[in-house]
Amino acid sequence: MTAQFPPPVPEAGQRLLSHEELEAALRDIGARRYHNLHPFHRLLHDGKLSKDQVRAWALNRYYYQAMIPVKDAALLARLPDAQLRRIWRQRIVDHDGDHEGDGGIERWLKLAEGVGFARDYVLSTQGILSATRFSVDAYVHFVSERSLLEAIASSLTEMFSPTIISERVAGMLKNYDFITKDTLAYFDKRLTQAPRDADFALDYVKQHATTPELQRQAMAALTFKCTVLWTQLDALYFAYVAPGMVPPDAWQPGEGLVSEASQAKPGASGGKMAAGDRPRLPRGVRLRNDETRGKWVLLAPERTFDLDDNAVAVLKLVDGQNTVSQIAHTLGQTYDADPAVIEADILPMLAGLAQKRVLER
Amino acid sequence: MNAPTPAPSPADVIPAPVGLLAELTHRCPLRCPYCSNPLELDRRSAELDTQTWLRVLTEAAGLGVLHVHLSGGEPTARNDIVEITAKCAELGLYSNLITSGVGGALAKLDALYDAGLDHVQLSVQGVDAQSAEKIGGLKNAQPQKMQFAARVTELGLPLTLNSVIHRGNIHEVPGFIDLAVKLGAKRLEVAHTQYYGWAYVNRAALMPDKAQVDESIRIVEAARERLKGQLVIDLVVPDYYAKYPKACAGGWGRKLMNVTPQGKVLPCHAAETIPGLEFWYVGDHSLGDIWTKSPAFAAYRGTSWMKEPCRSCDRREKDWGGCRCQALALTGDAANTDPACSLSPLHAKMRDLAKEEAAENPPDYIYRSIGTNVQNPLSEKAPL
Repeated sequence: MTAQFPPPVPEAGQRLLSHEELEAALRDIGARRYHNLHPFHRLLHDGKLSKDQVRAWALNRYYYQAMIPVKDAALLARLPDAQLRRIWRQRIVDHDGDHEGDGGIERWLKLAEGVGFARDYVLSTQGILSATRFSVDAYVHFVSERSLLEAIASSLTEMFSPTIISERVAGMLKNYDFITKDTLAYFDKRLTQAPRDADFALDYVKQHATTPELQRQAMAALTFKCTVLWTQLDALYFAYVAPGMVPPDAWQPGEGLVSEASQAKPGASGGKMAAGDRPRLPRGVRLRNDETRGKWVLLAPERTFDLDDNAVAVLKLVDGQNTVSQIAHTLGQTYDADPAVIEADILPMLAGLAQKRVLER
Repeated sequence: MNAPTPAPSPADVIPAPVGLLAELTHRCPLRCPYCSNPLELDRRSAELDTQTWLRVLTEAAGLGVLHVHLSGGEPTARNDIVEITAKCAELGLYSNLITSGVGGALAKLDALYDAGLDHVQLSVQGVDAQSAEKIGGLKNAQPQKMQFAARVTELGLPLTLNSVIHRGNIHEVPGFIDLAVKLGAKRLEVAHTQYYGWAYVNRAALMPDKAQVDESIRIVEAARERLKGQLVIDLVVPDYYAKYPKACAGGWGRKLMNVTPQGKVLPCHAAETIPGLEFWYVGDHSLGDIWTKSPAFAAYRGTSWMKEPCRSCDRREKDWGGCRCQALALTGDAANTDPACSLSPLHAKMRDLAKEEAAENPPDYIYRSIGTNVQNPLSEKAPL
């Protein structure tokens, strides 16, 4: 790990910043590079991802969670001071728990199970993207090999995490019917743990970055950490959103799941539709040209839906393959209209049909 | 060119039929006392043959029919049910199997699926097996139904549960809702008994009281909210406690035609109870001619036959005067306003009748059966 990350603030690295200036410079790195800005997270929080895309995120992110105590143990091993070690070891306790069934890793497993995964499959990490593994491993190496100051500074992304967690919890609960408050229990704890950890680390960095060069190193370490997080989302986006290139051996939708029937819970099925979903007409629902009356209709159990031209154009593209976004995009090209406007129009229509149980996703 | 004639009122236009209720047979292992079949049931020897049914379906598709309800009796009692279903699929007709799920139904289900069946509506008489089997009059029916339902959802066919509600099972409405969820049904029909045919004969044994009906409606409405997106619940309230009548069969001769096992074509399944109507048979006429020209379909189509208060009512093209059969049975004249309508001068008496019967101890059921000479206790004269 010899790559130099450029200082984020031009004048930083040239003169010694006050504690306030240093904190501002560090926060500025987060404001521009933290992964809450990543398009994948925006999709996640806005409910635009399909269930499978949320699954891919939960599965890959598990590897990051699982390696955090490894990273912290490496750092702990290098701390010369009992008081510092007592403080830092709390992070390991938080993540590993005091006993079986406790701790942040366990809560993340619950989240993965909550979206349908079999526990053993998640634990095996066999389905994660290699980019996830490379990024996370790079982080562990960084913390093991760089100076203590850099190692501790790299944890400062925790300064920014309460914001993203609030956004995430609110957004995911609102937008995904398969996500419950229980599923997201991981984040409840982190809301209080992260600021406590960040306060300590920030104070340490302020006290120990005593030269312009050390301050530059601290900023570069935080930048590096932002990159570790960002890269993981790049990889998720590339594999599971667009262009959808899933590498060999990485998780494919349908793998590693507990069967739907055994995890079905009341109220968890139809009625919602997100831009990343791939709607389809289930067996027993058919789009048909009613020649006698000169119109297209949707035939469903005990009922017939009369369709307007717009609905027909949309439903002709509903094939279980196209996402709602892709349908909007195709219609945008056909009718020379803004796909974003079309998407906003057709989502409620599709959700309405899903609620009537004549459309699935 | 001639001067343009004024557009005819929608009531005068004969619309194309949307649905065909194919009563393939009156044979059924169950003997429900509210069966919608007529008191005089067709025997097997009188049933239409396969080729005639296939022709009827072809003609129906040509007329614009979209939905075919394969009903009975128990439709799977027909040996040619798979062939008939396949014909529907070939013609693009949406096929709906209305079944009891007992007898040979399960054995034929996979073949029906392969033939392209679109939807299954399974009747459940009760949630508790013992009371359900008392109502259906067949021992060991309930486990068969549960097995049948499981196979329907396993195949990925959409399942609707149909529960006919009456005083013997109205307390089970929450149970029906839970059962539908448990079985993976997409729809549940909570259908209060409609008092025609066998149900009319058994009315006193079936009629719930008003408070029970109100409670069942409240339960359904709460469940609809709770199960939004998971289970669609259709509620049919009992006419006797309603404010306005139902547009029976979507209006006489407007949407539905009903072909009986022997090929008689009716505007609704109870229409034979109206004396003096001339019904045509598919053996003698094409379905199209029957729809547009047969006297029975013409008799109460549109609004010109109406008397007051229907004739001048704003709702006359919404509910089309309600049910002709009920008007006849209760008032003695099929052209009267359905007394289920609160605007009918006889509505209060109808409601009182229901209240009185619901307050009495229920008599024993008169089970449906072929060839029994049923003494209809209400048939002598109109009670209102």
